[in-house]
Amino acid sequence: MVEFPPAQEKAETPLGLYVHVPFCATTCDFCAFYQTVPQGDAVPRYLEAVAAETARVEWAGRRVATVFWGGGTPGLLRARELRQLGEATLRCSGGPPEEWSVELAPATVTPDRLAVLQELGVTRISLGVQSFNAGLLDALGRQHMPAQVYRAYELIRAQGFASVNLDLMFALPGQSEEQWRADLAEALRLAPDHLSTYCLTFEEDTALWVKLSQGKVKLDPEKEAAFYRRTWEFLEESGYAQYEISNFARPGHACRHNLNTWRMHEWVGLGPSAASQFGGWRGSNPPDLALWLTEVAAGRRAQADQTRLTPGLLAVDSVVFGLRMNEGVRLPRLRRRFPTARWEALMDFLPKLIIEGLAEASVEGRLWLTPRGRLLADSIGSAIIAAFPSENLTPIL
Amino acid sequence: MKHDPTLTRNFCIIAHVDHGKTTLSDRLLEYTSTIAKRVMTDQHLDSMDLEKERGITIKMHPVTMTYPAKDGKTYKLNLMDTPGHVDFSYEVSRSLAACEGALLLIDAAQGVEAQTVANAHLAFTQGLKIIPVINKIDLPSANLELCTRQLEDILTIPAEEVILASGKSGIGIEEILEAVISRIPPPRWSDYPTTRMLVFDSKYDSYRGVISHVRVFSGTFKAGEMMMLMSSGQKSEIKEVGMFHPGMIKCKELRPGDVGYIVSNIKSVDEIKIGDTITHANKPAAEMLPGYKEVHPMVYCGLYPLESSDYEKLKVALGKLRLNDSALQYQQETSVALGFGFRCGFLGLLHMEILQERIRREYDVDIISTYPSVVYRVKKHGGQVIEVDNPVNLPDPASIEEISEPTIKASIHIPNEFLGDMMSLIMEKRGSCDHTDTLDSTRVMLTCTLPLNEILVDFNDRLKSITHGYGSMDYELGDYRPSDLVKMEILVNGDPVDAFACIVHRSKAETQGRSLCEKLAEIIPPQMFKIAVQAAIGGKIIARDNVREMRKDVTAKCYGGDISRKRKLLDKQKEGKKKMKQIGKVSIPPDAFIQVLKTNH
Repeated sequence: MVEFPPAQEKAETPLGLYVHVPFCATTCDFCAFYQTVPQGDAVPRYLEAVAAETARVEWAGRRVATVFWGGGTPGLLRARELRQLGEATLRCSGGPPEEWSVELAPATVTPDRLAVLQELGVTRISLGVQSFNAGLLDALGRQHMPAQVYRAYELIRAQGFASVNLDLMFALPGQSEEQWRADLAEALRLAPDHLSTYCLTFEEDTALWVKLSQGKVKLDPEKEAAFYRRTWEFLEESGYAQYEISNFARPGHACRHNLNTWRMHEWVGLGPSAASQFGGWRGSNPPDLALWLTEVAAGRRAQADQTRLTPGLLAVDSVVFGLRMNEGVRLPRLRRRFPTARWEALMDFLPKLIIEGLAEASVEGRLWLTPRGRLLADSIGSAIIAAFPSENLTPIL
Repeated sequence: MKHDPTLTRNFCIIAHVDHGKTTLSDRLLEYTSTIAKRVMTDQHLDSMDLEKERGITIKMHPVTMTYPAKDGKTYKLNLMDTPGHVDFSYEVSRSLAACEGALLLIDAAQGVEAQTVANAHLAFTQGLKIIPVINKIDLPSANLELCTRQLEDILTIPAEEVILASGKSGIGIEEILEAVISRIPPPRWSDYPTTRMLVFDSKYDSYRGVISHVRVFSGTFKAGEMMMLMSSGQKSEIKEVGMFHPGMIKCKELRPGDVGYIVSNIKSVDEIKIGDTITHANKPAAEMLPGYKEVHPMVYCGLYPLESSDYEKLKVALGKLRLNDSALQYQQETSVALGFGFRCGFLGLLHMEILQERIRREYDVDIISTYPSVVYRVKKHGGQVIEVDNPVNLPDPASIEEISEPTIKASIHIPNEFLGDMMSLIMEKRGSCDHTDTLDSTRVMLTCTLPLNEILVDFNDRLKSITHGYGSMDYELGDYRPSDLVKMEILVNGDPVDAFACIVHRSKAETQGRSLCEKLAEIIPPQMFKIAVQAAIGGKIIARDNVREMRKDVTAKCYGGDISRKRKLLDKQKEGKKKMKQIGKVSIPPDAFIQVLKTNH
């Protein structure tokens, strides 16, 4: 007998809504997110299908607490298209969300777009800066110049959004520690509310991956670890508290939508490749615009990699993904939330993390990773999964 | 035709590796028309590919030739090819025992080598007439004067007896054949009152059972007769007798002086031991032919399949190899680190290497071997003596009064200039030099005593590297000598890894322990936790190293859309770990063992 998640999932935990906008003008070397160059009537058909997909979700009266538009490049949509997408979003959110983030590429930031976004109730803009160094931006195959970043940032601030994030990347091929430090300092000079700093990752199906496998660029975990450490120390000193591996915020500006994800709550994903964790299931839409259009037309959604969310699975994932956050996990609270999970299996392993200096714990049962532990979060995660013997993924045939 | 044993000559060829023994044999077969030239493949007598590749003979294959001599009589010449390596010295000695004479082959360019001397001595002790042959005289680098002088000085063989030859171009072949007839005596002991024949090899044939290669000394043997093995008293009916021409040809009977084969009801090579004497069951001989002994493995190691699913395949391979090789011994064993496998005993290192290679090639099983070990004699308090071939079985040190180890008597030939380096190597290997003989103005021969376990791993390679390939070594087993030996264990994160346990001399434990720890620490992939690799003797740590600590293993971006993918990835990592060898809490990739053992071999 499979037990379904307890009722508290339905009413008491916040619900997130993610909308994937799959369009990009060109492909970045490092990006593995699903994206396509808009052609013909692709955009209008996409917008209609998002609206149609919202109707397929069994909302059951749930209110959407946070919205996140990601991509792709949501900013590639024109102002009126953004309005159309925003209206579809608001129709299912059950009122204005507490937090509404939109990712924008610097080259797409224009006053008319920003005006529409603010009018819709967007609270947070995430700007894909990557670097302030023109040479490194070139190397990444990005489509903007440093000057465009400054202009975009000014426009966003002028529009008066509550929270602004800058995305930066580090450990780029050929990047020195000094260059990275300069990028961070430049970002701080702009005084954003939030910073996301991403260690360059080699994802399959990217141009960078190809270069890596051809030996043109090399992985250097020692160098990456050093970059991570420097970043954490520097931003901490500068008043940006780290709250997740790659995320830092001034007080009150942490991204609630993402916190919601790491706390293993629920979210609904719309658009091609978007993932959902909702109503007892986890699954994704097909990462292909045409295929997704067909699926939506046929009334199907989130059918790829469908997994039933058992209390055991959610318990393990709450720990694995919760430990990515600096606050870590509150074990007694998780035990109350998933009382049937086999917690005892973990109790051999967790103290070892503490003894080895990878984690710390408080008397009330909160467990969090130390900086060294955070650098090994994936190894720790797979060790935790291994410690829960029976909680493997249950694919649906 | 009446059988006349005086028209038979039995001989073999002894030589150092590569001195042209096989080529010369082939020329003899050609000259006597035993094999037509066109069907000759190069090196006819070495039948296994591996033998051809390594240029060494592992198993002997006799052949009977007919030669019309200059004296007008036609002789039957039986040529025994002998293995050229010390691992098989017992088999060599039995092969020699089946002959009355030997061609001693010397490479004109290389001169007398360690094995030449060892084999010549073996032949002398068997009472064989030796015909010295200097081979490859047509080489530009041939130095006949040096070779002749060496023969006189080292082996006290008169220069005027030397025959000059070239197997390659056929020089001296007739002279050799004439010398075989004129110098080698006719078959000995043919007038012994009862029947006796010597078994000098056995092969397994899946259709006919065991085919034994024999030399008849007295009496005749026919199919249908009851025979008896004198070492065990076991009786069996002779099903078939025959000779090698060079293929097996059935004949009516084997007569005194003949070399041939017999097939009986015996189904296992274990039961017909090399060196045994066969006699008629109804009228058995009073005494066996001299020189029989049981051979025991000298070197042991564990063999494990790399893929545990190959265990059955490995078992079958060992079983089949053993059908033809009674010197190979094996029994099932389990290792914490390597899983299910076999403890195998070999005559020596070459024997071990060859069999491992055959398992890989002929049976297509990837195997890994543990650290090789010799057989130690452990005297416990109270006088009980046990033999230990696996370090894991060494009893509690508190119960041990004394451990003895096997030694070897090595004879090492090297150019003078490397004497110093060679002496240091011998010292390093805990050996002692008993005496030094000058071979000629440029070469010396060292006679030394060395512990067998010191030459197991890299002695020969080091010898070759010190002497730039010009040195050579041969050895015979010496006696057991008490020694300060200890069991060294390798611990990973505090857990002993049985595959790396070894018995070492106390004085070398630390160096060897440090090197093993270093290698292992380097090979184990970086770990999340601090992991020590330690070498310990009786619980006392004598060396340690740390496995590299993992620096970074974290995904940068992990949002709602990444959870599923990430989860699958982590699951996969966990599965990957299952395929590793689990030593306590540490996962070690299976090839880590191979890498460490390889670098140590």
